[in-house]
Parts: sequence; C-alpha cells; structure tokens
Amino acid sequence: MNPKEEREVEILEDIGSKFDVEGKIQRERRIWISIDNKELIKLCGWLKNQGFEHLSAISVTDWVKEGRFEVTYHLWSYKDKILLTLKTKVDREKPVIKSVISIWEESAQIHERELHELFGVKFKGNLDLSSLFLEDWHGPPPFRKDFDWREYVRDEFYDKENEREKVYYD
Amino acid sequence: MTRKTRGKRFTMIDEMEPAPKGTEYDFYFGPAHPGPGNFGVKLKIDGERVVSARADPGYLHRGFEKLMEYRTPIQNAVLSDRLCVLEPLNWNLVHAEAVDELMSIDVPERAKYIRVIMAELSRIQSHIIWYGVFSKATGFDTGFKMAFGYRDYILDLFELITGGRVYPAGYICPGGVRRDFPNGARDKILKVLDKMDEMIKLEELENPALDARAKGVGILKVKDAVRLGATGPVLRGSGMKTDVRKDEPYEIYDRLDFEVPVRKEGDAYARYMIGIEEMKQSIKIVKQALEELPEGEVIASKFKKPKVSVKMPEGDVYVRNEVARGEGAVYMVSDGNGEPYRTKIRGPDFLHMIPVLEYLLKGTQIADVPAIYWSLNICPADMDR
Amino acid sequence: MVKRSKKAKTMRKLIKAIWIFNWFNSCGFTELVPVVGSRWDMERFGMIIVGSPRHADVLFIAGYQTLKSIKRAKRVYEQMAEPRVVIALGSCTMTGGMYWDSYNTIKRLEDYLPVTIYIPGCPPRPEAIFEACEKIFKHVKELE
Repeated sequence: MNPKEEREVEILEDIGSKFDVEGKIQRERRIWISIDNKELIKLCGWLKNQGFEHLSAISVTDWVKEGRFEVTYHLWSYKDKILLTLKTKVDREKPVIKSVISIWEESAQIHERELHELFGVKFKGNLDLSSLFLEDWHGPPPFRKDFDWREYVRDEFYDKENEREKVYYD
Repeated sequence: MTRKTRGKRFTMIDEMEPAPKGTEYDFYFGPAHPGPGNFGVKLKIDGERVVSARADPGYLHRGFEKLMEYRTPIQNAVLSDRLCVLEPLNWNLVHAEAVDELMSIDVPERAKYIRVIMAELSRIQSHIIWYGVFSKATGFDTGFKMAFGYRDYILDLFELITGGRVYPAGYICPGGVRRDFPNGARDKILKVLDKMDEMIKLEELENPALDARAKGVGILKVKDAVRLGATGPVLRGSGMKTDVRKDEPYEIYDRLDFEVPVRKEGDAYARYMIGIEEMKQSIKIVKQALEELPEGEVIASKFKKPKVSVKMPEGDVYVRNEVARGEGAVYMVSDGNGEPYRTKIRGPDFLHMIPVLEYLLKGTQIADVPAIYWSLNICPADMDR
Repeated sequence: MVKRSKKAKTMRKLIKAIWIFNWFNSCGFTELVPVVGSRWDMERFGMIIVGSPRHADVLFIAGYQTLKSIKRAKRVYEQMAEPRVVIALGSCTMTGGMYWDSYNTIKRLEDYLPVTIYIPGCPPRPEAIFEACEKIFKHVKELE
C-alpha cells in the first residue's frame, strides 16, 4: 500500500460502512466503485456533501453480449483532489435509470440529453430530453454496437459503379 | 438616472418603460460566424433586452467516439489532432497519455520534455487566436490583423519540427514522440519566444474602448460557475484557484516553476486578462524545459518498428489534462483486442457553450452579446465532436 | 475583334476583384483566416470578405460539411447573384476524406452544389488558394 494513498483508503472505508459497494484503488487519486441501481441517488447525495462537487462526465458503455448498458459517473473533489468513478448497470432491452439532476443540476442535464439521443437511455426526472445534434434522424440510436456504420454508409452514400469508390466495396 | 451631456439629456436603458406586450421577437444569431466554426444561438428579444437564449449545436457532428472504435491506437493518434482544430497538439497529448496508461508503458525522459514544449507552444498559439477574435468582436480591427501576423511564427516552427503547419499528423503518439528535434531547432524556438514577448507588450497597452465594452459585462460568480460545470480560464476568472497541472501533475509539470493567474471579478475583462497572463507563464515554462532537456531516446522500444497491430490489455482508464480552454479528459475502455471498445471524450466547451452561455446571456443588452460570447473562448468542433 | 458571347462579356467585366462570402467551417478557419491576416494579405489582390450573400461572387466551402450545414449552404448559394463560383477546399469536401465512414458527413460535394474548382490538401496552404484564384481569372479570360 502506497503511503500517499491514505485519504483514498479513508474515503473507501467510509463508503463501505454505509452502503453496499465493491471498490478498488487503481492508483494515486483514482477510486473505482460498482454499485446497484437502487442505492445510486442516496450515495450521490452523500458524496456531494463530502466535497465531490464537480461532475466531470457521464458515459454509457454498450456491452452487447451480456445484454446490459453500463452507466459511469466521474466525480472530482476540489478539496481532496481525488477522482471517484461510479459504475451501475441497466438492462439493455428496457434502459431506464433515475436522473441525478436533483443533485448536480445543469451540468448533469446536458450530459443526459446527449446520451439519450445517442444511446437511447431514458433518464427519469429529466424534463428536457429533446434532440441535440441530429435533425430529422429516423434511424436507430447511432452509437449502439449493433448499428454498423460502414454498411450504412456504403448503402446510403457510395455508388458501386463509380470508379473512385469501387475500393470501398472490397 | 439621467445624464447631462453637452446640454442634451440621455435616458439610461434601465429606466425606460418596458415595451408593450406582444413585441417579443425571435432572433437567430446564426451559423456563419467570422469566428471559430459554425454554431447558432436562438435569442428571444424584447426591445433591447434578451429574455432567453437557447443553443443550437450539431453543425459539426461527425461521431468521433465511434470512429475511434474502428481504428487501432496508432491510427487514432492521427485522428486525435482533429478533435479541436485550434489546439491540435494538446488533444494529441491527452489521447497518447490514455493509451500509455492502459498499456503501462514507460515513456523516456527526453520524450516527456519534448511533449511539454510542444503542448505549451500550442497553448500560446491558441490564446493568440482568442485575443485576435475578441478584439475583432469589440471593434479593434488592428488587434485582429496583428495577432494573426504573429501567430505565423509559431506555425513555421511547427512545420520545421513536425511537418505540418496546422495538423502535426500525430506527432505525439503513444510511447513518446515520432521523431527528434532537427538541428538548429533550439535556437529558433528561443528567437520565436522573443517575438512573443514583443507581442505581449503591445497587447497589454490600455485600450479605453475595450475597457468600456468588456468591464462589468457577463459576470459569473464562483458558486454558479461550479454548478454549471465551468473549468479553466472561465473558472479562474471568477476567483477559484485551480489548474490540472498543479492539482494532479502529469508528465514533468511537478518539476517546473510557474504560477496560476486568478482574478475575482468574473467579468469578460477578467477572463481576457487571464489569457494574456497565461501566455507569459507558458513562455516561462518553455524556457525552463529547453534548458533542462536531457539526451536519450524519444520513443519507447515497443513502438520502434511500427506494427499496426498492437494489443491493449483489458481494463479502463480516465485521464485528465489542462487543454487551453479548460479541462479535457478521455475515458477509454478496452476488452483485449486491438481497437478500443469505447472512448468517451470530455471537452471543456460542451459545458461552456450550452449551460454557461444560456445562463450568461439572460437579461443582458443585445449590444453586449458579442463581448460575452467571445470571452468564453469557444470552439464548436470540441463540443460536437 | 474576337466575338464573345454575352455571358463571357459580363464575366470579364465583373470578375476582376473577387468578393468572398464569409462561410468558414472549422478546418477552413485555420487556413483561411491567415489569408485575411497580415502575412498573406489578400486585399492587395482586391479580395475582401463581405457579410451578405447578395454582394458576393465566390462561395468557399472549406472543410467537411454535415447534413445539417449543407442545407444552410445551399440556401446561401441560391441567394447569390449571377455570375457566381463555388470553390471546394480540402479533401474532406471532395471525397469524404478522413471521415469516410461517418454517418453524418457528406461524401461528394457535387451532388449538392455545382463546383468550379477543387483545392486538395488537409488543409491546403494559403499559396494554393491564391493559385486557385489565379486560375479563375485565366478561365474567365479564355471564356467564349
């Protein structure tokens, strides 16, 4: 154990005593925690009071073979200078999760709006989930793994008869 | 309050009667801007006051994060310069650090110093564009021409070292840098830094027109800035002393001696002055790094003979850096194959252009909109990805 | 005296100094703005930037275009008065370039607008832009 990682160990033990989590310390200033869907909002509220005021990013990973989406929240504390990452799982067929907009307000709202458009995940409690980047898009959510871009682009934009573009069909 | 000026009386805008109902109109501050890229803001205006603003992004959306899933890390290094076109080397560095940490590669010492020198030169070049575009928006056309004239010295330096004026073709790649400095590069860098000192002396001269247009305009307090997610010069202009290079030092920043400028007022003038101060600190960093530059290899031995199929082990990693506009970060997930399974790019402008801009534009006069807009130092390519 | 068609005569009178409409996309911004700046000064050739499409002769489509922004570019093109010229700058506009497998960028500009000159490069140097303008002048001189 690195002598510099004292504060990280303190925080992890504190969380472990109050909530049911799996955690590890990857290196100095990095804590990774996995938690179940139901306790997410309580843990986030507790973390904000401990000093994790800055929500750096929210991201979604699409694990097709296991049939789930994994939502990750990256939080930074200006007081202790530590980054904490929270991971939760959502079912892929019905992706609905509670929004953290009640805790981090506008900075969470814009991340959730983007993820709703690109992956199709619904955030309960977020009132403005209108489309952000795309206009008149009628296809499936573009960043999912079962939407192959190279096939779509070949059908839609390229022409096999064109000499210049025959290369893309090999 | 009314003022007497040369015998006539002018009524200030605050005490004019509000316009009668039904005179609100929609105004589209549209996509063909002379500044960086295409971005639109829909304003609702009542007389001379802006009632509400709504951002309209998406003119430059390419789907970067999924494009990176089809390419190997060495191909991605070339793609990563185009994340934000105004500061290509800084984003190159973030991506290279993420791959290095995933694969647990030891980057040689000389490569770390060269990476820091190139990143700081790119930061100076980006702040020069900020200065030029901000002057043009507030009416000072000479500043615009002067800024773009001085910027060309740095672009010639990039062409000498990396081969491209604007895009360095993945110069900072995973494992180190692609090639060493050529002969005579060190003296040329010192001469260019002298020219930059000259330019900053001209920029700091007091300009009363700029003071009147930028002081007291677009005030952002600290609590609102943290709640809306602002980082970088926008947050430092409101009074919080924070910089990723000091909070969690990466590369060799813990061995260098530099300061972080902070101001308390939170208006457009404070943000603009922080940009000029940061340029001075960057010049100091480059001079120190050039003096301490050690000899040795410039790339890790694993990447020496270019094999396009390099496998990344399973795992995930989150890397944060200070790019010229704020906090830039990359979250990379790998499942054991050659290509990354998922890359999430967090750019500073995604938060600056949508929540912060909509908050600041509410309730101001329409003539102040350009000064507030350009003082946030935006880059739409970084937001849309 | 050489006999010239009416179109050739109007073009010879009007296209001597080119006025450009301001539509700088992201990659084009980094190389078109130095052309306006003080090192590669374009005002000495008579070229200036105007704000309204009705005053302009030339539309520079610089950098990759997405489906959302090509609709706006088309509207701008329809508002320009004859004679008008479209110049495509950069390899992403001509063939799709680096984003050839993206679902949102356009791959061939000639499907949407009639193009006169292509300037390849990523991004092209400012000298290449001047060479393209010189070719326009030569083309107009030899028009019948």
